[in-house]
Amino acid sequence: MLSLPYKMIPFLLSWGAMLLVLLRRFSAHRRTAIAAGIVGYACGEAGAWLLFHLYSAEVAVGVMKSAVGVGFLLLWSAAVIAIYRSTGRGFPSWGESVGRTKVFAGGIALAAGVLMGGIVACRLAGTGSGTIACFVAALAAVVLAGAAFVVEEKLPDLFTVSPAGAMAALVSLLLFTSSSIIRLDLFAPLSMKVMKFAHDFVHQFFESMLIPDHLFIRSYLWGYIGLLFGKGVGFWGALAIWFIPVLLILLSVNLERLPPVAHIRQGAKRRKMVAAAIENRRLRLVVPALSCVVFSLAVYRSTFPAVEYWDPKPVPVTAAANGEIVIPKKGEVDLEDGKLHKFLYRQNGNQARFMAVMTPEGKLTVVLDACAICKPDGYGQAEGSVVCYYCKTLIPMDTVGKPGGCNPVPVPFTEKEDGVHLDAVALVNTWTTTVQSTTRVKEEGK
Amino acid sequence: MRRLLLRLWGVMTSRAVPPVVIGIFLLVYIGIAFFTEETLVTLIGLTSKSVVLALLFALLPISSACRLVAEAVSYLKRRRAMAGTAVPDAAELFDEAVEVPAASLTIAEQSLVGLGYTTRRTEDTLASWRGFSNFPARMVYLAATFCLFAGILISLTSRLSYRSPIVEGDPLPADVGGGVVERISLQPSSGMILSKALTMEVAPANPGEAHRSLGIYPPSMLRGMFVYPRYLGVGAAVRIAAPDLPDGFGKNSILNVYPPGKEDAVEIPGSPYRVMVTLLEPEDGVDPFSSGRMIFSVKLVKGKDLVLAGKMATGGAVSRGGYQISFPETRRLVISDFIRDYGVPLIWTASVLFIVAAALWLPVRLLLPRREMLFIDHAGTLLALSRAEGRGRGHGSIFHEALDLLEAGGQGKLPE
Repeated sequence: MLSLPYKMIPFLLSWGAMLLVLLRRFSAHRRTAIAAGIVGYACGEAGAWLLFHLYSAEVAVGVMKSAVGVGFLLLWSAAVIAIYRSTGRGFPSWGESVGRTKVFAGGIALAAGVLMGGIVACRLAGTGSGTIACFVAALAAVVLAGAAFVVEEKLPDLFTVSPAGAMAALVSLLLFTSSSIIRLDLFAPLSMKVMKFAHDFVHQFFESMLIPDHLFIRSYLWGYIGLLFGKGVGFWGALAIWFIPVLLILLSVNLERLPPVAHIRQGAKRRKMVAAAIENRRLRLVVPALSCVVFSLAVYRSTFPAVEYWDPKPVPVTAAANGEIVIPKKGEVDLEDGKLHKFLYRQNGNQARFMAVMTPEGKLTVVLDACAICKPDGYGQAEGSVVCYYCKTLIPMDTVGKPGGCNPVPVPFTEKEDGVHLDAVALVNTWTTTVQSTTRVKEEGK
Repeated sequence: MRRLLLRLWGVMTSRAVPPVVIGIFLLVYIGIAFFTEETLVTLIGLTSKSVVLALLFALLPISSACRLVAEAVSYLKRRRAMAGTAVPDAAELFDEAVEVPAASLTIAEQSLVGLGYTTRRTEDTLASWRGFSNFPARMVYLAATFCLFAGILISLTSRLSYRSPIVEGDPLPADVGGGVVERISLQPSSGMILSKALTMEVAPANPGEAHRSLGIYPPSMLRGMFVYPRYLGVGAAVRIAAPDLPDGFGKNSILNVYPPGKEDAVEIPGSPYRVMVTLLEPEDGVDPFSSGRMIFSVKLVKGKDLVLAGKMATGGAVSRGGYQISFPETRRLVISDFIRDYGVPLIWTASVLFIVAAALWLPVRLLLPRREMLFIDHAGTLLALSRAEGRGRGHGSIFHEALDLLEAGGQGKLPE
């Protein structure tokens, strides 16, 4: 509990930075923006708290994750519009006047506050903190809002925020804060989706263009094509999707047309105007550039989460003469302690790694330490879930034992008084079928 | 009606159309991803079946075609303007337009020639330009975009496909001509991309038709259908005998056993028997499909029990304890897809056009981008127009200084 305030610092700093950006962007409606931001924060925190208490944690986290995802999509839209506007004429200028209204300023600040409040509530729920912690966090947010209101006034005019730049800053801060909560993180699932998309796209492209299969293609070339099916494609593809919006915004600022000066007949005045426009353009690059750094931090936190997974070393097991593997409920390990237990079965050069765990409903289940999609890097146990080490997907504990997606592949077993009984041949067959050519048995826990 | 058409034309030529349509498809994709792992396949299936999605997708090629026409019209108008012909709304064809008091254009012309601009003078206009226009590259790019999206749309909505084996000695399916496949050969290829050359010789089905030789890539076409070889296999007449099958059993089977080492099973209907077949690695190192020297490992399984196992060549048999497996005849076969898809040639064309567009655009944009100025003397006012496809800052500076020079009546000079 002592470390909780320390863990909340990045959240509160992000909140402060969001307010500075909002206040500077909507400098004509500062009071509206700050008030809407605070109201939004309080509503977000209260709303998420209610979701956690009225529904399951999965529902609450799912709602927040979707909301952050929508924010990221909006950033993409803003980036595409910005680049289209800067590179040519004839792009509709919808909403320019709306963007300057008090209602718009309040709406954006409210939405940002709701999301940040919701994320903070998710963080506090994850640590098992109660109502008082939520109240203290809300109080701290209000104090920070006051401080941001004062500080922003003292910031120099050089701190300029374009509409797209503001969007980049707000979304980057939201993604940064959500990336520190493993269940809210967007980057890891994005990597997995990109990997799957690349695989499907290459397959569909080959089929559509009638390109021959690997049977007829030179192996060196197929080796290059094979890169498209690897984990690297997911990571680098997700990085591209992650950074392209903010890079487009940077580019759009850089490509903005200079003001028309042909009507001015004094060369010096013309040059001064152009120089001022270029200077202003450079200043507007600062916020998107800083957002780029925040996006990088979010990727870092997602890739190297500050979470300790429970990942025991697999216990070697053997089969009896009748080909049955028996694992006692209370033996070397306690199968009913709610923790993940890993086992390794080896015979005649065949091997299979599997896990036994008691689900939250109190049912023992036995599954492979591998899923049907990813390389068999195995799973670790986090709070209320297991995580696939390969794609970082979180699998809720209550769905472990059910087939599909990145869930660990279920293994047929019988639960008896003395423990769980498995058929060794069925186990090895299930393992071999599942991992196929990507077999890489991990013998040590992480 | 005319206003409506103009408005429609404005929408279809808008640069906003492609990002909006692609954005909608992205949202649909994300929506589907919540429900299934096979997101792309589902989206393709949905688009091919849904009229709404197909029409939405159709906006992409239509928009490309409309932009191609609109940009070609603008280019021709600008050319006419640069040639000294009066063009209404000429200012809209340029990046920058300004009106200044009328002045003698001769001084500006001399200065611009000195800076490397080519000029053309008529009674009341002065046109000057440098470099080459990227208009051809832009046209090729838009044509490529049109071909790509039109190809995808046609492919999505009208592709017909079925899978059928092409067996040595058997006729092709009737809808692709029905000629008998005389020979299937597989040879190593020295090409950079394909490791094997597969040839399927087809005899003419009717008098007057020619022999056909079908290959791998580009895929051959028979009566409007592409022949897309997928896998190699062996067609075998499988015979088994067993104590409880006094009459024996025979079946012509397609064995998906290539490359060597791959196992396939032949189910014997109405019996507990199953024949497991593997094509063995050749001892001489020559691909058995190429040489025709095929040795099979066969197993006869009854329920879960292995009752017979052994190796044999074509025409041989394996037998023990009343059980026998024999392959009196084997033939090479190619499991192929027969596909009618008019979108594929368009997508191939698009690929070529994209490469041509890039090859045209890059050197011109980097080395000699088009820069233009046009001065029109009209009723005591000089309309000055300027545009640049690259190096716009330098060109803009010369344009502004040229205006200064005109206003100053020729005092001073343009920047070098």
